[in-house]
Amino acid sequence: MSYHQDGLLDMVIGLYALSFGLGIFADKILEFGFAAIMPAIMISIVLPIWIYAKRKITMPRIGFVKFGARGSNKLFAIFLGLAVAGLGVAMAFGVFMATGQNGTPFWLEILFQYLFQYGMIWIGLGAAVIGSLFAYTMGLKRLHGYGFLTLALFVSGHFLSIPFEYLLLTIGSVIIASGAALLVQFIRRYPLPKGASANAIQ
Amino acid sequence: MPSSDADIQNVDRLIHEPSRLTIMMHLYVVESADFQFLQNQTGMTPGNLSSHLRKLEDAGYVEVTKEFLDRMPHTALKLTRKGREAFKEYRRNVKRFIEKLPE
Repeated sequence: MSYHQDGLLDMVIGLYALSFGLGIFADKILEFGFAAIMPAIMISIVLPIWIYAKRKITMPRIGFVKFGARGSNKLFAIFLGLAVAGLGVAMAFGVFMATGQNGTPFWLEILFQYLFQYGMIWIGLGAAVIGSLFAYTMGLKRLHGYGFLTLALFVSGHFLSIPFEYLLLTIGSVIIASGAALLVQFIRRYPLPKGASANAIQ
Repeated sequence: MPSSDADIQNVDRLIHEPSRLTIMMHLYVVESADFQFLQNQTGMTPGNLSSHLRKLEDAGYVEVTKEFLDRMPHTALKLTRKGREAFKEYRRNVKRFIEKLPE
C-alpha cells in the first residue's frame, strides 16, 4: 500500500505544470511576469490544500502510518542533489552572462549553445530523469510514465516547433486527469469506515 | 534434539500465530501506524484485531497510545524495543530452520 495511491500528488504535479503553462501564456498576452511568480503562488495555495485533503480524504480511509527516516533521507538526498545541480547550472549561466562573448571559455559557450538550441529536449530529459529518481525512491511506477511522457512531448515539440506553454498545458492536463481517475478509484476502493470509533481500539 | 528442531521449538509462539505475525510484520517496517491502517493491511475485523493487539500489548511487544484527533478517537500503535528484538529473534529462528531443510 502506498500513501500516494490517492492521486493527490499527481494532481499537485499536474496543477504545477498547468499553472506554469498558463503563467507563460498570460505573460505573452499581458506582458507581466506571471511565469516567474506562478510557482510561488502555487506553493502557497496548493500545498495547504494538499495537506488538508490528505487529512480529510486519505487518512480516514487508509489510516495513518509513519514510515521510518530511511525513505525521507533518500528523498532529501535527491532534493539536495537536484539543488546542487541546479545551482551549478545557474552559476555557469551567470559566468556566461557576466563575461559575455569574449571572456567566456570556449567549452562553456559550446555547452550553452547546445543547451539553448535543444532546450526542449534537455527539459524533457531532465523530467524523465527526475521522474525516474522519484519513482524509484517513492516506489511510484507511474512517475516513470509522467517523466517519459514529458520527454516524448518535448522531443516532439522541438521537432514540430510547438510552443513551450502548449506542451506544459498538455502535460499538466494529462497528469491532473490521471490523478483524478486515481482519486475516484481510491474513494471507491476505500469507503469511509462507519462510526466515530473506526480508528479506535475496541 | 537436533539443532534444527531446536530452532523451531524456540520460536516465540505468541508471534508465531499467523494473525499476530502479520501485525508484527506490518509494525516492524514502520515507525508507527494506527488501528485503521492495520485493519486495512491485515483484513481483520476490528474485534479480532483488538484482541490480538491486546495480547501483544500484554506481552510488552506493542505500545498502544490512545488520543483524540479532530475530536475523534485515534489509536496509534508501535513496536516496543522488546517487541522489535523479539521479532528479530523469531525471524532468525525461522530462517535457520528453513535454511537447513534440503531442497
